Amino acid sequence: MTRPDQATVRNAVWLLGLYVLSVTVALVLSALLISITGGPWRGVLNALLDGAIRKPGRWGDTLAEATPLLIVSLGAIVSARAGLVNIGQEGQLAVGAATATYVATHLSGPLAIAGAVLAGFVGGALWAGIAALLKYWRKVPEVITTLLLVFIASQGTGYLLTRTFLLLDDDPNKPNRVQTSAQLDESTRIGYIRIFGNEFPWSVVAAVVLAIAVSVVLHRTTWGFRLTVLGRNARTAQRIGVPVVIAGATALALSGAFAGLAGAVMLTAGTANYRFTPGFANNVGWEGLLVALVARNRPLACIPIAFVFAALRTGSGFLAATGVERSIVDVVRSLLVLALLVPPAVAVMRQRRVTPPPAAAAADEPVVSVVVA
Amino acid sequence: MPAPAVRLSSITKRYGPVTACADVDLELVPGEIHGVLGENGAGKSTLMKILIGLVQPDEGTIAVAGNETVIHDPQTAADLGVGMVHQHLSLVESLTVWENVLLGDHRRFDRRAARDQVAATAEHYGLGIDPDSQVSDLSAGLRQRVELIKCLRRDPRILILDEPTSVLTPAESEQLFATLRDVVAREQRAVALVSHKLAEVLHATDTVTIMRQGRVVERARTSGATPSSLARAMVGREVSLRTSAAALGATDELGDAATSPVAARSFDDRPEVLRIDSARLVRGGVTVLDNLSIRVRAGEIVGVAGVEGNGQRELGDVLSSLIALDDGSVTVDGTVVRTGRAGAMARAGVAIIPEDRHDSGCVLTMSIADNLLLDRIDSVARGGLISRSEQRRVALELMREFEVQGAGPDSLFGSLSGGNQQRVVLAREMSSKPKVLVAAQPTRGLDVGAIEYMSSRLRAAAESGIAVLLVSTELEEILDLSDRIIVLTRGKVMGELQRSEATSELLGLLLGGIAAGTDPTGGAHDPS
Amino acid sequence: MIASALGAVGDILGADAMYNSAMRFAIVLAFAAIGEWVAERSGTLNISLEAMMIGGAYTASITWSSTDNVPLALLAGMFAGLLVSLVQAHLSHQLAIDQFVVGLTLNIFVLGLALFLDSRWEAVTQVVQPTRIPGLVDIPLVGEAFFGQPWPMYLVVPLVPLAWWLMFRTRWGLELRSVGDSPQAADVSGIHVNRRRRQAIMFAGLTSGLGGGVLVLGQISIAGYESGHVGLKGIIAIAAVIFGGWTLRGTILGCLLFGYFFALQQTLPVLGYRMNAQLAATLPYLVALVFTAVFAARTRQPRALAQPFVRGLA
Repeated sequence: MTRPDQATVRNAVWLLGLYVLSVTVALVLSALLISITGGPWRGVLNALLDGAIRKPGRWGDTLAEATPLLIVSLGAIVSARAGLVNIGQEGQLAVGAATATYVATHLSGPLAIAGAVLAGFVGGALWAGIAALLKYWRKVPEVITTLLLVFIASQGTGYLLTRTFLLLDDDPNKPNRVQTSAQLDESTRIGYIRIFGNEFPWSVVAAVVLAIAVSVVLHRTTWGFRLTVLGRNARTAQRIGVPVVIAGATALALSGAFAGLAGAVMLTAGTANYRFTPGFANNVGWEGLLVALVARNRPLACIPIAFVFAALRTGSGFLAATGVERSIVDVVRSLLVLALLVPPAVAVMRQRRVTPPPAAAAADEPVVSVVVA
Repeated sequence: MPAPAVRLSSITKRYGPVTACADVDLELVPGEIHGVLGENGAGKSTLMKILIGLVQPDEGTIAVAGNETVIHDPQTAADLGVGMVHQHLSLVESLTVWENVLLGDHRRFDRRAARDQVAATAEHYGLGIDPDSQVSDLSAGLRQRVELIKCLRRDPRILILDEPTSVLTPAESEQLFATLRDVVAREQRAVALVSHKLAEVLHATDTVTIMRQGRVVERARTSGATPSSLARAMVGREVSLRTSAAALGATDELGDAATSPVAARSFDDRPEVLRIDSARLVRGGVTVLDNLSIRVRAGEIVGVAGVEGNGQRELGDVLSSLIALDDGSVTVDGTVVRTGRAGAMARAGVAIIPEDRHDSGCVLTMSIADNLLLDRIDSVARGGLISRSEQRRVALELMREFEVQGAGPDSLFGSLSGGNQQRVVLAREMSSKPKVLVAAQPTRGLDVGAIEYMSSRLRAAAESGIAVLLVSTELEEILDLSDRIIVLTRGKVMGELQRSEATSELLGLLLGGIAAGTDPTGGAHDPS
Repeated sequence: MIASALGAVGDILGADAMYNSAMRFAIVLAFAAIGEWVAERSGTLNISLEAMMIGGAYTASITWSSTDNVPLALLAGMFAGLLVSLVQAHLSHQLAIDQFVVGLTLNIFVLGLALFLDSRWEAVTQVVQPTRIPGLVDIPLVGEAFFGQPWPMYLVVPLVPLAWWLMFRTRWGLELRSVGDSPQAADVSGIHVNRRRRQAIMFAGLTSGLGGGVLVLGQISIAGYESGHVGLKGIIAIAAVIFGGWTLRGTILGCLLFGYFFALQQTLPVLGYRMNAQLAATLPYLVALVFTAVFAARTRQPRALAQPFVRGLA
């Protein structure tokens, strides 16, 4: 192992400095925005920290909140690896949660929970599968179709909650049973771990294991290898025998499946009191996607980032006392995302000015393309 | 001697550790065609990119008509009267001829006037073309006319041509040089002709500057230069091998070895390993492969000669499982292979060195080791899990055997030089124990040493019993290596010759679209 | 059954309100889609169109409620769209960050920002009253649709030929089309590829910001900006460009078609037809999905669409 030379160290320090600078700018801008609109920025910061980790029992909640974000982001990485832009996780998650609800409320017994989770997986896969079908059969860019399907999914699952033979709670004794599903019974609920005065569902552990598994599959298996070839050079992939359509469709469906799985996990871990309701996805799909973007498609990096994003979610619940709307968190989060996207891009640009690419060794992410040959 | 139109003084350009141009001086004089000769990678195209404003020099100055200037971008260059005819890149296919000619201009935008002007410029230089046709419908030769018109219409005092003949038939090249002599003599422009083909430079230029490894190694009046002295300066050693002469595009001018073609061998008793029968392919209404039949026997090298854009790319794509034939079949070792099915050709034993390795021969952003085992990653995996140490071991072995230098197995493929990239591709394809090897433009962009290496590898492959299909636009290369030669024109077999019957003159006629056995006075390649 | 279905079709085809409403939706979509058409022809699939519309809508409504000045409000909307486009353009065509990543993040950012600002400074607006052109407005069925719109809607009338003229009759347009199809060729011809692409995105920012403004002032809003107002109309506008096969004519046709289904969803209950609200709400999106899929495959997209350009990366 050779010691890193001076230039490498200098570049690393420079990049780190850039990260610190841009994150600071994002946070200062957020604070300014709160102040300008007449809110206490210190109060907001304290409330966020209280809600996310400081108050008793809070970090357990944050871990639970991070789980679906992490699972969604892992799926986003799978499709990005194949060079596809799936940005419809919000819809895929809603559909997965709906199918999981149907199974969970119609089954009972020890296998019911497995059935529900599987149903979520399949539901998300099918929903993303529509986009895959339209891409490879009709050449419609998946960027557009996955987005349009988000809206159709959120309204469509709302419809399912208006009919008792679908998802609407059919308990006639319930006085106000407007648009919610029946509550899951005990057998279909995920168990909780209690530790240091915090509690979180077992799915937290499962999600971390899943992240490790995805990392190994993508980086160490022949399947992951072929998927990577496909994402970085589709024509080379076709030549060496990666069936472009089948592999691409599988990756897209799988990324939807992960989003659906996240929906099933939210349902069975009691995010919405073990019921499916309108607006169930609650932006988890969008935010999970952002986690993957910030992690620059590295599965293990998603773990801490999902936690930070979850902290913003749980922290925002404590904002009421400050009089500042929760939507400030959306602003802070997306400013942070932008702040984290810029430094690596600036570094690449700087690198390029010093050494021109002999060929095109620049991007470490696949060059995303919607062009279908 | 007239004052120089442009003078480049002490130009140096470094890319990290590599010095592309080192202390280069160059003067272009009005009324002269100045050859800039050098192997691929000698620094001549970097120098021209500096002159046209696409690259900024680290050191040195540029003076145009005696005034020192800084050329920031192609626009500045154009304002200073520097124009360049690019090899491939500067036309937009979806636009019409006149729109393309206007591109990058900043005079008043007047469609009718522009159209008329394009027609007038074309007529003035005898370059017939319809201003309203869409560029995607034009042949490579006609596209180059558009490039030339685009450049000349801006009335440049300095005209740079970058490897202009690579897309032309011999007859078209001759016509181009006639136009250039006219431009120089009548209009007193300064012309730089950038080329790696010695014969072409000898034939068409007044003065010549030779570059090697970023430096100017010789300057001479062309009339006083001899082929062997130029070749020595260019390569840096005596050139006698036949292959080197071919690589310099000067088989006739150089060396005794060049006059004795390979001994004719018969392959009639060997099995037909590759059979393409009546292949037909239609793309966007154009028939790009037209009833094409090719047979290659074991141990034989069959050369497919043709000017660029006559179906070679599509032929390569079919043999890479990238596109399906509309009609006809491909048979490998007696088994019909389904075209267009992912990996089918590779599984049947067809190895390929693709025309554009970046397009379908590699993954730039994966490691060298990954690229070496692209299609055989299973061989270093157990139960689907890749063994990195095993992969590394195999990769190192291949890199040693095929002399891949410049980086370790874990470095990105894209960080290698062109020649080493090509070796990686060759190593991968040869180590898959193929029955057929398709080499499409295998030496394009390589220096003489790398070309020699590649040629010897191809010969060795054939000797080991592999059926080799060599697709090339370089006639010299075809003549050097092939046992049998097929001439491809507009996707059709225009003629088929044994090596012993082939001469560059005959091939030149066939390339121009005159079928073997017909009257060669019928006129070459109708421009309309 | 059949008779009642035919009756429904007859009712819909015979309703003035239906044509009027469809036209309004189509016009709002068209503002954004025209800008997106220009951006896509220059090589950017600009999904932050949504953010530009949202920014335009909120800014226009807050300007209206504090100044009562409609032209000023529309200008403010355009300005907001331009700001979003500057961020998109510089991040994706200066720093070469993936354009979808930038677009998606901007969509979330601007939606959150507008929501937050709206919670602090709520905008109350009124719809600009229709300008009724005497005589013509009385033409049966379509009179209202064509000649009885609030005046900002009519801005689309000069915008369509303007966009066409810019793209096909100016040097700027020629250069935009060349960078969308073959950026390398454009670059060696002396065109600043990324500068042209940024300008195209800015054009999209201006028109879609205006579209957002027209949406809140001219169409449906009586209480001011609400977070659901834009509701993926930017994305539908992108679908219209793809549906239209990257031609201006096709894009406008797409806007009319998708606008019709927005109107249908809104008008059916008014005409007394009962339909599940959720299902009705999906209608325009479903139609956009289906029609885009049916027509997308046969057209030719700009060859460098969504591919970043960095000199030297051929």
